[in-house]
Amino acid sequence: MSGAAWAIKAEGLSKKFGLTLRQSMRYGLRDATRRLVGKATESDELREGEFWAVKDASFELLEGEALGIMGVNGCGKTTLLRMLNGVYSPDVGRAQLRGRVGAMIAAGAGFAPMLSGRENVYVNGTLLGLTTREIDDLMDEIIAFSELGQFIDLPVKNYSSGMYVRLGFAIAALSRPDVLLMDEVLAVGDLNFQKKCFDHILQLKREGTAIILVSHSPGAIWSVCDRGLFMDHGCVQVDGPVEDVIRAYDDQNSRNAAAASAQFDQAVAAHDGVVGAGTASEYGHAQGGTGDVVFTTVRLLSIPAAIPTSEFAFMESMLIDAELTVTQPQENLLLRFTIDAMHYRFIATMDSLEQGLELPRVEAGRYRLQVRVNSPNFRPGAYTLNVGVSRKGVGVHLFYWFGAARFLVKHPQSSFLYADNNAVMHLDSAFRLEPWSSETMEAVMPAVEMRV
Amino acid sequence: MDRTKTIRTYEPVGHALGFVGSLRLAGAELYLSRHVIWHLFVRDFVAQFRQKILGYFWIVLGPLLGIIPFVFMHRAGILNPGAMEIPYPVFVFIGMGIWGLLISTFSTVSGGLLGNADLVMRTNIPKIALAITGLAGIFYSLIVHVVVLLIVLTIYRLPPSPWALLYPLVVLPMIFLGVGLGLMLAVVGAVARDVTGMATTALSILMYISPVIYKAEFSHPLLQALVTWNPMTYLVDAPRSLFIFGVIPDSLGFALASLFSVFMLAAGVNAFYLIKERVAERL
Repeated sequence: MSGAAWAIKAEGLSKKFGLTLRQSMRYGLRDATRRLVGKATESDELREGEFWAVKDASFELLEGEALGIMGVNGCGKTTLLRMLNGVYSPDVGRAQLRGRVGAMIAAGAGFAPMLSGRENVYVNGTLLGLTTREIDDLMDEIIAFSELGQFIDLPVKNYSSGMYVRLGFAIAALSRPDVLLMDEVLAVGDLNFQKKCFDHILQLKREGTAIILVSHSPGAIWSVCDRGLFMDHGCVQVDGPVEDVIRAYDDQNSRNAAAASAQFDQAVAAHDGVVGAGTASEYGHAQGGTGDVVFTTVRLLSIPAAIPTSEFAFMESMLIDAELTVTQPQENLLLRFTIDAMHYRFIATMDSLEQGLELPRVEAGRYRLQVRVNSPNFRPGAYTLNVGVSRKGVGVHLFYWFGAARFLVKHPQSSFLYADNNAVMHLDSAFRLEPWSSETMEAVMPAVEMRV
Repeated sequence: MDRTKTIRTYEPVGHALGFVGSLRLAGAELYLSRHVIWHLFVRDFVAQFRQKILGYFWIVLGPLLGIIPFVFMHRAGILNPGAMEIPYPVFVFIGMGIWGLLISTFSTVSGGLLGNADLVMRTNIPKIALAITGLAGIFYSLIVHVVVLLIVLTIYRLPPSPWALLYPLVVLPMIFLGVGLGLMLAVVGAVARDVTGMATTALSILMYISPVIYKAEFSHPLLQALVTWNPMTYLVDAPRSLFIFGVIPDSLGFALASLFSVFMLAAGVNAFYLIKERVAERL
């Protein structure tokens, strides 16, 4: 036989659940009764209160291939994995797996606290499909891999959580399955152990194990997988290179984060009774100030078409378009925008005076303000725009508005920005690596000195 | 390592399995998961002993305490168990032991999937294997029961019959019955959780028309008919008589009751396979 054979085939896999426990129980009893009397269940259509947890997932995985599945919480990854592991029976479609399936969702499954690590290896090993003899043969390897040493004979109730997961991982990894299903398990133990896990997983892959890895960690998916699926609301949205999947996942995450923080702000405002109640005259609200200047709307527009949008491509210029009312004439007015990232406040600011717009006197009236932000180098993620109005000589805000607009920066197709989810700015830089020699050092030193 | 690679296929089950089909599948699945069953069995069995390492005294005392209310009522003249050939405490101890076997088998198997919910959700072990692994505890209590019984008989200077060696075999139909009922309830109970409680209550009512704490000889014809047609009558009486006297009083009744329990076991397996697909998502 030439070429790799298929290891996993999923054809139109679908699974539905009831939204509430009550409905789920009612349908469960109805299905059970129908089956008892020999009638078919209505498995391929949604009944009231049901939803598709996974809908029409299809893919094929060859031996030695690794597939990463990403998606935000509740997108159906775990349900898909459970169907592949035979825990849930699909309502529609078919899954086929060739060979022994090792599920790392089962790492540490069935551990009895009273029994020693060694005794638990037998229980967990058989749960993973090994025979007693195979476990006998693997025992030394498992003890060595898990680095438990003499502690293998200690009851597992006395294990630290690290020892517990190391043992669970060692059994699953060393069982050498033909198909390995993993759910967020690579982040166990210390850094050295994690590295060992990665090495071992890649070794299994080289030996022909087909791997499915479900993870929220782009780093883990990128390290292990050749391709991936991005799932959203039960459907496979992207099926392709891992880079595309990670981009889609990150963008979806940013969208959700922006929506969640907008919702949160709304809830806080409703709780404070600020919505519709005018501008608060103290700090600690979403909006407030002295009332001399009030911004009524703040929108973000795409540049050439001037269409309101909340999603921008990486490095895409944007236009801030705002309406404001000045109730009394103002001197030396300062208009300012600041930007917050998800986890950091005030990562960037744009101030009218700094950017060259001097406003020595602004009469009372309505105004439109437009600010063009040229190629901002924000990394992909969700951002919030805040407004602040002040005056030279006045130490307080005439107006402030946190969360005046929200936007997200999407991943670029031309490059893969995977390095750090916490970083917010992308600095264009050139890297050079050369073998060390005194000449290269001399060549670099002056440049360093000049920068200092 | 060369091994023939089996292909697992998961798809919606279109047709319901027949009686024979489900028994055959149960057999195949139990055979395939024999290693798991054995190790889970050993795990539970060993864990039982370890957890009770300081409590052997109580293990023996526990079953004895269970019969105290009945012995008290008997002594006080409230309970009239009928004419006895053996001391009442021995009678009630064996009766309660055998009945307890039914109740604990039933509740262990019916709660097996819920108790192993973690393994149901995380492994692809056949569900029937997970449902019956709890039987380890039953065998444990059977051993304890026999040991304590021997102590009780020694106290009463009543030697057991040599046929007592067959005792574990003769209580087997009672265990079958418990497993059959338990399997039915394991799947139904996972969907609607209060059903198991209702069934347990119904079973405990059934105890009063079985010769467990008295001989169940009623002058009322309807009550007597209930006792006669109740298979439990024979499943309790036969092991008790065999243990002490070495005879089975109504061998035809016992044979029919045993057949009934085998039928219930098969029906339980069948029901289990009809519904098990819907269990995991409702645990």
